[in-house]
Amino acid sequence: MKVFSKYISKHLLSFIRLISSLVVLNIAAFAFTFYSAVSKNFGSTSPQNMLKEVAAASSSNGITDEAERMLITNFLWAMYLNTEGSCNWTVNLPEEIPTEYSIQDIAIFSRGYLKDYPVFVWSDENGLLVIGYPQNSYMKITSNYYPIDTVRKIPLFFLGILVFDLLVLFLAYSRSKAKISKNTEPIISSIATLSEGKSINLSVSGELSEIADSINKASNIISRQNTARANWISGVSHDIRTPLSMIMGYADRIVNDKNASNQIKEQAAVISRQSIKIKDLVQDLNLVSKLEYEMQPLQKENTRLSKLLRSYAIDLINSGLSESYSLEVNISPDSENSMIECDTKLITRAVNNLVQNSIHSNPKGCIITLSLQITENRLLLTVQDNGIGISAEKLEELKNKPHYMESIDDRLDLRHGLGLLLVRQIIEAHHGTIDVESRLHEGYKTNIYFSSNPRP
Amino acid sequence: MEQSFLHTKKILLVDDEPELCKLVIDILSDDGFSNIIDAGTAQTGLNFARQEKPDLAILDVMLPDGDGFSLMKKLRTFTDIPIIFLTAKDEAADKLAGLGLGADDYVVKPFLPQELLLRVHAVLRRCYKADSPLLELEGCTIDFSRAEVNKNGIIVTLTAKEHTLLETLSRNEGRIVSIDALCEALWGDNPFGYENSLNAHIRRIREKIETDPSKPVSLITIKGLGYKLNARK
Repeated sequence: MKVFSKYISKHLLSFIRLISSLVVLNIAAFAFTFYSAVSKNFGSTSPQNMLKEVAAASSSNGITDEAERMLITNFLWAMYLNTEGSCNWTVNLPEEIPTEYSIQDIAIFSRGYLKDYPVFVWSDENGLLVIGYPQNSYMKITSNYYPIDTVRKIPLFFLGILVFDLLVLFLAYSRSKAKISKNTEPIISSIATLSEGKSINLSVSGELSEIADSINKASNIISRQNTARANWISGVSHDIRTPLSMIMGYADRIVNDKNASNQIKEQAAVISRQSIKIKDLVQDLNLVSKLEYEMQPLQKENTRLSKLLRSYAIDLINSGLSESYSLEVNISPDSENSMIECDTKLITRAVNNLVQNSIHSNPKGCIITLSLQITENRLLLTVQDNGIGISAEKLEELKNKPHYMESIDDRLDLRHGLGLLLVRQIIEAHHGTIDVESRLHEGYKTNIYFSSNPRP
Repeated sequence: MEQSFLHTKKILLVDDEPELCKLVIDILSDDGFSNIIDAGTAQTGLNFARQEKPDLAILDVMLPDGDGFSLMKKLRTFTDIPIIFLTAKDEAADKLAGLGLGADDYVVKPFLPQELLLRVHAVLRRCYKADSPLLELEGCTIDFSRAEVNKNGIIVTLTAKEHTLLETLSRNEGRIVSIDALCEALWGDNPFGYENSLNAHIRRIREKIETDPSKPVSLITIKGLGYKLNARK
């Protein structure tokens, strides 16, 4: 029904309007063309009129001069046959017309022609008045009889023709429409892809190839701009790294310098903390822009997520996680050996961003739990903390508001780091889904679902 | 850090940024490394490597006369010393991991001093065994060269698997080693379902090294993650 209704569109309506106006136009043209013929038929020289006038002006014995003149000026001839079949009088009779007739002769010509002259007859009590018109001036239908059944069926027949015609027209219409949409389909879908900022390569032959070329050009421009933007971000983030290394390194050395005063150490600690923020931002920014413009090739390999989570947790603990945080890893037995195709570095990055988010949101410390389980045939990776959480409004905002990297809204909200956007991008690149649960003072929980191929 | 024998190792640093060079040297010497040579170009780095025979090379990827990768290829023609790359690009790190150039590790700039030290220590530990084969624990002494445990004068021998396990743990002394890494050390790649066997080995080791095996102090379980071996303080 949906497919059918596609064709009953406003275009169909205008199509029907066009056809009806065409019919009206045809009728008008018909009426105009046949007006003269009709007026001739019913004008003063029409056979009916002429018969009436001549009959009135004549009798079995003769014809008035006036009527005779009228016949001659109109190139007509006339004769009066008596009941025996012979002529009482004639006017302007052509040579080939005989003057004696049998009953059979009369029966035949009275309905049609006499020697190819269309003739019209008027009978009175004494005989038969015959008026002949010039050859090829009138066509007489000599076999105009139809079964009454057929005549009764005429309206039905016309209706049938009408329905059939409409059907043919509709078919032609829908076929042409289908053909157009088939040709424009790839163009429309690639414009849709283009509008998402992705690049396309369209190949269409025929009349629409010019449009396809233009779209390809537009796509090239967009992808060039995307590449330039990603390269620009990558270049900036690259150039920041070496100086930042030194800022971080020396600030850290001052913090651990036994000779420095406490005040200086505290100030250095601020520099150190803030430089780490810049470091995270630089790393995230680069990766976000690459994922955004699909310039980061995923290096996927079959990975045991349980192992990935453990090794991440151990690295974090071994690198010196502050005492106020505790990190737990819960792997359900059925998910222990579940494998997924993934880029381990990116997934580790996503997990790290979530854990760091928990750490930054809870400066007083919290318990962070990484867990892995199988629910409804999907692998569920959860990063959860028991910290301060966020309010319902904030959560709603986090879920629905586009990130400033993706928004063209001028009122940019720069408070949210890139970290969570990056998590979403990484998970989407792995065809996973992500959702967040949180309540104020009841912790923050991120669920990541992967379609898995569990292996024993 | 406990492994003082590592601090005697000679480190070659090649970086064209003098200030960064100084920072790295400061970080390393503060930690206890006393033998550090630094070079500003790939060529001088190569010369130093031939003359001084360092035990570890830290190379910047971007050098004024060629990149760190080709320098590493040249180094590899005459030495097998471990190499750590300093890189300012995530991509370079990917390239290192992907191409399997044989680098031992890489540190992405910007890095924290602890991060660099961690990598240097890990690589050195992995590549150079302790000069002394003896490991002092709270309740005993382990002699790796003889695969023996001396607990209060009583000598117990270690099986091959127990030896491998303890060696893996002692190389990462004071740090957690994951279940996965231990299983891989014992049974090779992708060991599935060996956790129970691992538990059994750990239990038997504890009986040999712990004073009270039910209350371990040297070989500690980190729930859900792995194990940690603590040396005597």
